Amino acid sequence: MKKTTKRFLSLFLVLVFSLSMVSCGEKKTEKEETTDKEGTPSFSELKLGEDYTDLSADIKFLSHRTDLQDTVFQDYIKQFNELYPNIKITYETTTTYSDDMPTRLTTDDWGDICMLPTSVDKNEFPDLFVSFGDKETLDQTYDFLNDKSYQGQVYGIPSVANVQGIVYNKKVFEAAGITEMPKTPDEFLDALQKIKDNTEAIPMYSNFAAAWTMGAWDAYLGGSATGDPDFMNNKLVHSSNPFSKKDDMTGPYAVYYVLYEAVSRGLIEDDPTTTDWEGCKGMINRGEIGTMVLGSWAVVQMQDAGDNADDIGYMPFPISVGGKQYASAAPDYCYAINSKISTDEQIASMLYIKWLTEKSNFAFDQGGVPIVKGSQLPAVLDAFDGVELVVDNPAPEGEESLFNELNRESEVGINTDNTPDCLILENALNGTATLDEVMDEWNQKWSDAQSSLGIEVTEE
Amino acid sequence: MGENISNTSKSKKPFNLLSWLKSGKGQRATIIILFMAVPLFLLLTFTYVPFAKMVQFSFYKMKYTGPRTFVGLDNYVDVFKRDDCFRALWLSLYYMGGAFLQLALALYFATLLSFKVKGGNFFKGAMFFPYLVCGIAVGFIFKFFYTRGFVLDTVLSWLGFNLENLPYWLKDTKINNFSLAASSIWRYMGQSMVLFIGAIMSVDSELYEASSLDGANKWHQFKFIILPSIKTIVVLNLILSITGALSAFEPPYVITNGTLGTATYFWVMNKVAHTNQKVGLASAMAIVLLAIIFIATMIQKFVMLKVLNDDNDSVSKKTHRKLAKRNGGVA
Repeated sequence: MKKTTKRFLSLFLVLVFSLSMVSCGEKKTEKEETTDKEGTPSFSELKLGEDYTDLSADIKFLSHRTDLQDTVFQDYIKQFNELYPNIKITYETTTTYSDDMPTRLTTDDWGDICMLPTSVDKNEFPDLFVSFGDKETLDQTYDFLNDKSYQGQVYGIPSVANVQGIVYNKKVFEAAGITEMPKTPDEFLDALQKIKDNTEAIPMYSNFAAAWTMGAWDAYLGGSATGDPDFMNNKLVHSSNPFSKKDDMTGPYAVYYVLYEAVSRGLIEDDPTTTDWEGCKGMINRGEIGTMVLGSWAVVQMQDAGDNADDIGYMPFPISVGGKQYASAAPDYCYAINSKISTDEQIASMLYIKWLTEKSNFAFDQGGVPIVKGSQLPAVLDAFDGVELVVDNPAPEGEESLFNELNRESEVGINTDNTPDCLILENALNGTATLDEVMDEWNQKWSDAQSSLGIEVTEE
Repeated sequence: MGENISNTSKSKKPFNLLSWLKSGKGQRATIIILFMAVPLFLLLTFTYVPFAKMVQFSFYKMKYTGPRTFVGLDNYVDVFKRDDCFRALWLSLYYMGGAFLQLALALYFATLLSFKVKGGNFFKGAMFFPYLVCGIAVGFIFKFFYTRGFVLDTVLSWLGFNLENLPYWLKDTKINNFSLAASSIWRYMGQSMVLFIGAIMSVDSELYEASSLDGANKWHQFKFIILPSIKTIVVLNLILSITGALSAFEPPYVITNGTLGTATYFWVMNKVAHTNQKVGLASAMAIVLLAIIFIATMIQKFVMLKVLNDDNDSVSKKTHRKLAKRNGGVA
């Protein structure tokens, strides 16, 4: 008896095994059928609290904000559920978001809403994400849509926009005897020297060990350094030596000059390899750090890290173009919706994104610029009076993905790769290469990639 | 009932699947297939299919999303042309040096602990413990360990070192790779040690007694009894540590982010794949590394055979010859 039962058990197992494989195959085809792109309303037409209030759906939201998952986001879900009780939202946040998300996008069922990774090219948007609607219509209500639009359709709604500048401690500046805000790279370096000479504070904290904080330097080389809204997406791609030194100390070189010189003159922390990102917030709050080069999103975090919120100030990057200062304003991560989910889920996702954009006050609370036109600007940007905000123009049709491709191929990695920025600091620290040598190498890589991709070089 | 079935199946002569399944042979085959199916399925889905995919990717210019274009061997040519790939392989020498030190230490502790030692089990556990800690956590531990004025500097200043004379463990490019290799030793020493202890346990303890009667001290026992008996495990450990050294990743990834000349081959590969999104090139790098590891292992095997088996071979050859002579004499 025992033997026969064993035999049956084994046969049964074989059956289960093969059946489970069959069912795997079936699921896939089923899913494809339910995907239906028709019937999703446009983002601008949705009326919060009026449309689809009885819609029920499960929404998975992938995000990089690990710090907000259990606090702010839960609060948002609660408030949103008052309007839409049947839409269930779950957040999944990861610290290595920018590395993981591109891989996860290769599967169809990664979730419903994600923060659109920078590595995805524009021409891939229609395959992966749902269009929020016509760009012309949406432009009437929202700013900063250029970045994630393709062929007249908007595929990503910015969560918040950042203004690029430098976080500094007002008390430290006062103690160092800096009376006028520095407006050029050399003035800024002089100011750092004053901090070093007259105070105990670290003039500029590099946050080198965290690496992504070094990548943040790339954010200044467009609008802040040139004042030209066409520089990033139109001119840079076609420039022959974009990283070379310019006589008036503007452009990318001037940005990295500040970094290189600050390091080689010993104006940063003693040992950059062991900096501590979480710790630095409290340090600048207490006045142990003079400046940190980070986007406007960082201001709120620095203010919240201690008792001296009022000491934290924000200033434009010290580059003047023809006597005038500019600051890049650009969208942070954008919300995007999976195109492979059901219509109901897409509508539910859209409702939540609309709620986040218009009702949550997320952007303002985070110290960023809200994307809804006519919103109130956060108080930290008061120092930007007389500074012109520059929003990058989109690339012309047919060249939407060119910058990304060139950026990847050359491995200069502007805004995507932290390693080249780290190398600037390393070279300055050990004196292994001058800034001109580093920039020449970048130029070389840039033009090599231009020729291998067949990009026309038209700009000087 | 069981007897009845077997009787009927024996009497039938034409082939019948059901009865064959019930026969001894059939049962054996079903059991073999069933038991093999699960591990084979796992092996295929998680090792061989991904590997085949990676080989396929290495011939394409592609990123994770978007179109893929076939480029033939271009990626492999690039691996050899780029100066950051093979320069990174030189860093493996630090980790290989570390691996030898690690094995020597492991062998030392294993030998000590396989004799009766007070609190032996505690020490075994304590030294094996780092291996159980996840590599990322180890990275963070050492980041703080090496931070200026933190753990290591404090301990050294207790020993009378002056902080000003101490180097920056991670900043100084002459030292930082040693620091990283040291963290690797700390983590893997316990694992090698446990493997050695296991092997030493299998040595017949009567041999120690007999040798001590003949006047052998502990060193003699180690050299002439323990080492020859655990030769295979030593070789295995060497191979494991050298392949590990070639593919060192976690220390530079977590502790230094590959900065200041600590970017190992694996780290470069990770950057190329994820940051630069050159998946094809990274796949080609992985396959080149596989080939290098393969060659390194073969060389090692070959050298070990030459070095370690030489004595035995000569002995056996001699005895063979003697035996042959004797046999010849008899015949």
